[in-house]
Amino acid sequence: MKNTKKILLLGLASSLGICTILGGCNGSSEKDKVVIYSNADDEAITAMKHALDNNGFKDQYILQSFGTSELGGKLLAEGSNIEADLVTMSTFYLESAQEQNKMFKDLDFDVQTLDTYPAYCAPITAQEGAVIINTEMMKENQLPAPASIKDLANPEYKDMVSVTDINSSSTAWLLIQALVSEYGEEGAKEVLKGIYKNAGDHIEDSGSAPLKKVRAGEAAIGFGLRHQAAADKESGLPVDYIDPAEGNFSLTESAAVLDKGTKSKEAAMEMAECIMDNAREELLAAYPIPLYEGETEATADKSGNPKIFSEPLTVDLLKRHQELSDSCKPE
Amino acid sequence: MKQKNKEIKVIFAFLTLLFAVFLAIPMVRLLFKSFVGDSGISLESYLSVFASRGFGKALGNSFLVASVSALTTTAIAFLLAYTIHYTNVPGRAKSLIQGAALLPMLLPTITYGFSIIYSFGKQGLLTRLFGRQLFDIYGFNGLLLGYVIYTLPISFLLINNTMGYIDKKYMIVSRIMGDNGLSAFMMTIIRPLMGTLAASFIQSFFLCFTDFGIPASVGGKFQVIAGVLYDEMLGSVPDFHNGAVVAMVMLIPSVASILVLQYLERYNVRYSKISVIELHKNRARDWVCGILSTLVITGVLSVFAVIFVVPFVSEWPYDIRFTLEHVTAVFADDALFGVCKNSLFTAAATAVFGTLAAYGAALVTARSTVNKKLKNVIEGIALITNTIPGMVIGLAFLFSFSGTAVQNTFFIIIVCNVIHFFSTPYLMMKNSLAKMNASWETTAMLMGDNWIKTILRVVTPNAVSTILEVFSYYFVNAMVTISAVIFIAGARTMVITTKIKELQYYNKYNEIFVLSLLILFTNLAAKSLFQYLANRKQKTAASKSRAVKTAQ
Repeated sequence: MKNTKKILLLGLASSLGICTILGGCNGSSEKDKVVIYSNADDEAITAMKHALDNNGFKDQYILQSFGTSELGGKLLAEGSNIEADLVTMSTFYLESAQEQNKMFKDLDFDVQTLDTYPAYCAPITAQEGAVIINTEMMKENQLPAPASIKDLANPEYKDMVSVTDINSSSTAWLLIQALVSEYGEEGAKEVLKGIYKNAGDHIEDSGSAPLKKVRAGEAAIGFGLRHQAAADKESGLPVDYIDPAEGNFSLTESAAVLDKGTKSKEAAMEMAECIMDNAREELLAAYPIPLYEGETEATADKSGNPKIFSEPLTVDLLKRHQELSDSCKPE
Repeated sequence: MKQKNKEIKVIFAFLTLLFAVFLAIPMVRLLFKSFVGDSGISLESYLSVFASRGFGKALGNSFLVASVSALTTTAIAFLLAYTIHYTNVPGRAKSLIQGAALLPMLLPTITYGFSIIYSFGKQGLLTRLFGRQLFDIYGFNGLLLGYVIYTLPISFLLINNTMGYIDKKYMIVSRIMGDNGLSAFMMTIIRPLMGTLAASFIQSFFLCFTDFGIPASVGGKFQVIAGVLYDEMLGSVPDFHNGAVVAMVMLIPSVASILVLQYLERYNVRYSKISVIELHKNRARDWVCGILSTLVITGVLSVFAVIFVVPFVSEWPYDIRFTLEHVTAVFADDALFGVCKNSLFTAAATAVFGTLAAYGAALVTARSTVNKKLKNVIEGIALITNTIPGMVIGLAFLFSFSGTAVQNTFFIIIVCNVIHFFSTPYLMMKNSLAKMNASWETTAMLMGDNWIKTILRVVTPNAVSTILEVFSYYFVNAMVTISAVIFIAGARTMVITTKIKELQYYNKYNEIFVLSLLILFTNLAAKSLFQYLANRKQKTAASKSRAVKTAQ
């Protein structure tokens, strides 16, 4: 009797103890922290963390990563009910979310951007697409190097290609924008069909996945972000990149502060400013495209063929291109 | 008697309130949402979902892969259970088989997918050992393998348990009657097992049909319904109404399968007396079953072996020097370490409150004289929680609690887990309480104890081992679940499984495997602790009853 009681009490007490200890750590101070939602890749996350940590915001924020589509979905669906106080996200998504939900505040600091941006957001990175290859796999399988995105549809690359799915990653959009501007929608479909056939199961959800697949030798050729491939090449991995004949298209990611009325956190705006002021240098090292006045890029880093899509980028255009892409997937 | 039921009624009221607010209302709102279009109440969303390219295909795929997996699992589980009960393979091998069959329970399903990729993928561990890729892992094959591993424990538990209740004497009878081997096998083993085999099939089907973790990792372009639901809700262009429709469609086979299970319950054969007999010697049988079972468990273990390899080498597969840097990196990363604390906290709190809820509910149905209608309400709740897939509960919570004070809190995750896993713990508690002498409360009351004292002093001590079992069930399940929490975890309330989904986006497999190992070891530790406590309790009880006997 005594024993069982002891066991039970001990169990209950210890589990409640664990609850309070762990709960305690996550208690009130946690509530005051600024929640940052971001779709950014590792390098950008690290740069932003460094900027915040070195400028007095250490331990005052929680940075939560998401895939682009997940965060996009959350922004559109939850509006200002969203948990985040500050988001960094593909600029076109922020624009569509603002249009639909009026959820962001105008920034209260000045930014000297090269292009014009809406008052509620400021760019943090620009990313370009490129064809990437695993040089060892190419040699091993005696494959010729592709010169364009269209080439990825060639039958000789069967089961060797890895691309991303535009339904979940905006990197795929860079590929589709390139195809649509070069060959028109119908022409783009033809090419996409061939690429999807070659990719088989390697139609990935994340923008960095094709590079990872290429790096791991699961695929020989991929379409991904140029700067990431460049970094891999630099570090001595058997990876190289090719600026495709259709052009290097790019997307920017921006930061925006949520407007939650009286529940808005002052610190969120300060952190946004801090990121703009202090993260750019490190960001520019990883994403070598100038966004602000006074920034330059090394000629070695310059992509061979930068281009911009003729229509403004919106979620509606994305949806149209998603449907185009879906119609090309094999049954 | 009046006095006794007052407390019971308080418990009952509390439980109904809990399930009304956190189960009935969210589910009704979900149902409502699926029928509301842009222009008022309509079937618009249903039409748009059914007309959409790929939905029918995904539904068909789900049915196909879930049934094939359920069939395979049931066959394998039968083989393992048969080896344990009907062959003379060494006892140690038998306990090894049992352990390996139950191991997958302790890991989240999303981990299985990644271990499959790293075992059978182009650069996988096993691919390298064999020198070539054994089969294509993305799509049907990968899902099948993942689902079979996922459902093996539950299927094995069911069949193994029933086999323990089959009287082997009938085998001798059958033999004496001159049956040949096959018909003896059919009559004395398969026939009495029929209900359980069907139950195993249905239970496995249900789990496969509603799981999200495995398709998230190895689904490839083979779309299943869980993936469609996720995309509708958290895809780039979300549609809540369509999401609600998909959830409703997912619910139908789930409800059907649980109803069939309820029906099959009646056909369960229970022999009242189990006689221990010596199995006749048959070396061929022992060898064949032994070897086949060994193959199966080697298969299961080898899929998981990779979890112990990849995080401990520098850069799989190019640089395979041993290193602890990935492990230390996880512990050095405040965010990841915080997630581990969150998981532990959530699991512990779920276990405490879940056990209280299950115990309270079981007291109402098994140890009270309240109106049958009230008891039926509790039974109904248990049945309903059993039929609703985790993803559907998560989604219903997302709809109902977005923008309220409980959004993105631990509270909501804990309540969700308590409700999601309520059914099994409740049944375990009820069975245990129902076995106890019905007159204890009355006797105690006559002796002047009040109801609460009786429950604490008499009923609870006798139920300790079941309480511990329930506690451990809730704890382990809360550690490994992803399907519901994926929709309701926030930045402050990330648990390990949702973090793994996030890490997947960045293909950070080292971290994924380190976190998976953490889950595994936590669960192993928790299970052994509760097992130890339960055993100790039983031992003290046994030694006491011996002491009483000697005294007499």
